Amino acid sequence: MSKRKRDISRRQFLEGTGAVLAAATAVPALKVKLPTANPPATDDVASGVPSTAIRLVVNGTEHRLDVEDRWTLAELLRDHIGLTGTKIGCDRGECGACTVLLDGKPVYSCSNLAVWADGREVQTVEGLAQGEHLDPLQQAFVEHDGPQCGFCTSGQLMSAKGLLTHNPHPTAQEVRAAMTGNICRCSNYNRYVEAVLAAAATKNATTSKGSSGRSTASTKLGAEVSAANGRRSPAVSTSSRGGAR
Amino acid sequence: MSRPPTLASLKTIGHATPRIDAVERVTGKATYSGDVHLPGMLYARVLRSPHAHARIRQIDVSKALALPGVKSVLTHENCTVVWGAGSISGGRQYVDEIKKITRQKRYIFNNPVRFFGEPVAAVAATNRHIAEEALRLITVEYETLPFVLDQEEALRPESVQIWPDGNVSLDAKNEAKPEVYRRGDVEEGFRTADHVFEDRYTTTYVHNAQMEPRLCVASWEGDKLTLYTPTQGTSNCRHDMARDLGIPDEKVRVICKYMGGGFGNKNQNQDADLIAAMLAKETGAPVKLELSRKEDFIGVHGRWPTTQYYKVGVSKDGVLQALQLRGYSGMGPYRKNSGGITGVELYQCPNVESTVYPVYTNRAVSGNYRAPEFPQGFFGIQSMMDDVAYKMKMDPVEFVLKNMTRKSNDEVPYSNYTLEECIRRGAEAFEWKKRWHPPGAEPGAIKRGAGMAFMTIRSPLGQSSAVIRLDSNGRYTVFVGVTDIGAGAKTTMSMIAAEELGVPLSDVDLVWGDTDRCPYSVGESGSRTTDMTGYAVIEAARDLKRQIAEKGLPKGENALIASASPNPKSEGKVRKAFGAHFVEVEVDTELGRVRVLKYVAVHDSGRIMNPLTATSQVKGGATQGIGMALHEDLVYDRRSGQPLTAGYYGARIMTHLDAPEIEVIFIESDDGYGPFGAKCIGEAGIVHAVAAVGNAVFNSIGRRMKDLPITRDKILGALA
Repeated sequence: MSKRKRDISRRQFLEGTGAVLAAATAVPALKVKLPTANPPATDDVASGVPSTAIRLVVNGTEHRLDVEDRWTLAELLRDHIGLTGTKIGCDRGECGACTVLLDGKPVYSCSNLAVWADGREVQTVEGLAQGEHLDPLQQAFVEHDGPQCGFCTSGQLMSAKGLLTHNPHPTAQEVRAAMTGNICRCSNYNRYVEAVLAAAATKNATTSKGSSGRSTASTKLGAEVSAANGRRSPAVSTSSRGGAR
Repeated sequence: MSRPPTLASLKTIGHATPRIDAVERVTGKATYSGDVHLPGMLYARVLRSPHAHARIRQIDVSKALALPGVKSVLTHENCTVVWGAGSISGGRQYVDEIKKITRQKRYIFNNPVRFFGEPVAAVAATNRHIAEEALRLITVEYETLPFVLDQEEALRPESVQIWPDGNVSLDAKNEAKPEVYRRGDVEEGFRTADHVFEDRYTTTYVHNAQMEPRLCVASWEGDKLTLYTPTQGTSNCRHDMARDLGIPDEKVRVICKYMGGGFGNKNQNQDADLIAAMLAKETGAPVKLELSRKEDFIGVHGRWPTTQYYKVGVSKDGVLQALQLRGYSGMGPYRKNSGGITGVELYQCPNVESTVYPVYTNRAVSGNYRAPEFPQGFFGIQSMMDDVAYKMKMDPVEFVLKNMTRKSNDEVPYSNYTLEECIRRGAEAFEWKKRWHPPGAEPGAIKRGAGMAFMTIRSPLGQSSAVIRLDSNGRYTVFVGVTDIGAGAKTTMSMIAAEELGVPLSDVDLVWGDTDRCPYSVGESGSRTTDMTGYAVIEAARDLKRQIAEKGLPKGENALIASASPNPKSEGKVRKAFGAHFVEVEVDTELGRVRVLKYVAVHDSGRIMNPLTATSQVKGGATQGIGMALHEDLVYDRRSGQPLTAGYYGARIMTHLDAPEIEVIFIESDDGYGPFGAKCIGEAGIVHAVAAVGNAVFNSIGRRMKDLPITRDKILGALA
């Protein structure tokens, strides 16, 4: 991936084809190289398309980049920053799979334009774990079998995170109400509610507010995760809570 | 077959175990097909028919092709690939012989188009926005044709014939005949019965609505195609792709590491796979085709809607004498799957006749959705029987215990039988005697009511494969062609291997979801993976143990490799899983609103491999069933033939606030077959949930709700 430094305003785009051509071939400057599974597209901003230079903080890392004005926040995160943990289930604000925290508040990233995130702070599922330690919510989701197919899980986690930040000890009904914008077609709703209540009951569930300054999922976690590819990860409890026997 | 060990001796099986890939799923590290990005990848979009039935007179793609960034446009004129799994006589996708003879072929682009949302053209461009823009530049001249939406109406002589052979879908012999089952003589049965009851029930099109929309990333290297696609069966998908594209199986590689659910609509290969492959071939670049949620709702498939007529004869002491079903299933214009309506097999009865017509309509295509033929049929027949019990002044549980199946079709013994135990345990846990009351008897505007339904569902044995390698470092690598759609197959396969090998789960690695690395697997459909592929894992493990005993543990660069492709049989017995659901609802008779207050689900799925994930499966199935009973429908505008409720919001898919607590009880039995006695579970939770909810609503308000979904307007209408 090219790391050419570049800073083009929307005005400069409109001023001449030179800038437009540059936009077509260059790659936005990222202050910190992110751990990404998939490299972002190399021709990110298409020629002749209105775009805007924005700054935003994602999982504690600042990004300055040009975004097409038509990109959604989900599209920016997934295709251009390489954070594919955020899923798109409907792309029209119905299912909640794309939920991220925008300045600490859960929003549908499919229904927010990327440019609206200018000057703001975004937290995605990749920003939940601290180094190799899963967030208590993630740990509870693992133990209580939250994800079946897992496609809605990132969104469920972020809605739950938003809830616990503002209401550290919710009732089951408050959990349901806060997460009702997150559809789970596997319909593992009972499990998700159980898991959020369990996470809220653990001591450190609410100690980590916000995401500023926190590192994103570290390489060590990545290694642990791939090691878990076929066997239980060391981070996963062997507790047999949740069984029906 | 030797008897499996008792539960007490099992170290891994039967113990609640978090999924082996749960950490990946909660950290966003799990790579789903849509997360795959290949260098130089193009994006594809599909133009779909705005008409329910129309002939394409002309397509002009010149403006689209002239748009900078557009690399290729496919239409029926330049792409004539037949999608074999899209429409097959008899809906028997798995049979190659039938695919060869079928007369009614579904191309990936058809002319005429036969439903709103049918693919008309596809575009590949350098980004998704250009592809979308290009769709708007394609001009299509349509000659609209008459259309028909309802399965019964489609059989009237004045209705448009969607295919030249008529609107009764062709069967596996290319004959336009209904599916018929008979035993005894129903007419004689009705003559001798003391009471005869007749009624009509209908069920609607319910979409699978899995969270991950259909998509495909296709890439050619020379003459070899690689697909990253969400499929419930990599082996089947590969074979289907090879057949449809006319290339050998080994020239196709299908990879599916994680997938966001399917519930039956990601079986086989899909038109999206074929379109992406053709665009990739055409452009010489990798292509990612993504379907929108609306396209997924109308362009893939959902559960077939049905109309069911029942006639039931009983003796004066409430014993069934004759049972007749005449049913119609709306298949959309292509018979993707069977279109069957099950339910008559639930009852012991000397005289039975079931006649089911799979019918073509101009609605969205119907196909498999979690227990394809079951919930709609079980709703119809168990509502009917609940009503017969009521009219005979019998407690519904007593009526069921008197009339339920004891042998398969009253003839072949089951491999074991715990249906009665399921019902009795459920009635006890639910406190049936306390909660059930004469229908509509509660005073006040908000009325409670209790209902129950029961089930049997096939739990067949069959062929599948597994390979296990033991390396000198002591690690066991299991190669199985499963994809984990959410049911936990990867975890289950690893647990089975660990148990049979007598090693900790942490010593087992799994390789899955890649046809170039894994042997054939049945695919995660029909609740078969645990039974079939799981049994292959056991056989491979046994072989490996024999090799270890013979040759000792491998040293240095050596490895031991064992494989198995068993095809076990249940020797003249029918294997089924059993279950009973008990529901209490509360109906607000002023608002028409239904709330589920208590839900008890009792299941015998044989040995439970992993109680943690098995419980989730049942909870999820039952909750989907409640959605089908109370909420979900793909409503069509009868004048335009257009769907009005395609999407989560419109179809009213269950949410956190709708979902009640589901109490799950397993009765673990052991019939001596399957891995450690396991039977099917994936589909078992949904099959009788719909009927149980419907019966609870009846008990609450004393009015029989005969048409799904049981929405507020229908309840208020019935009470008016």
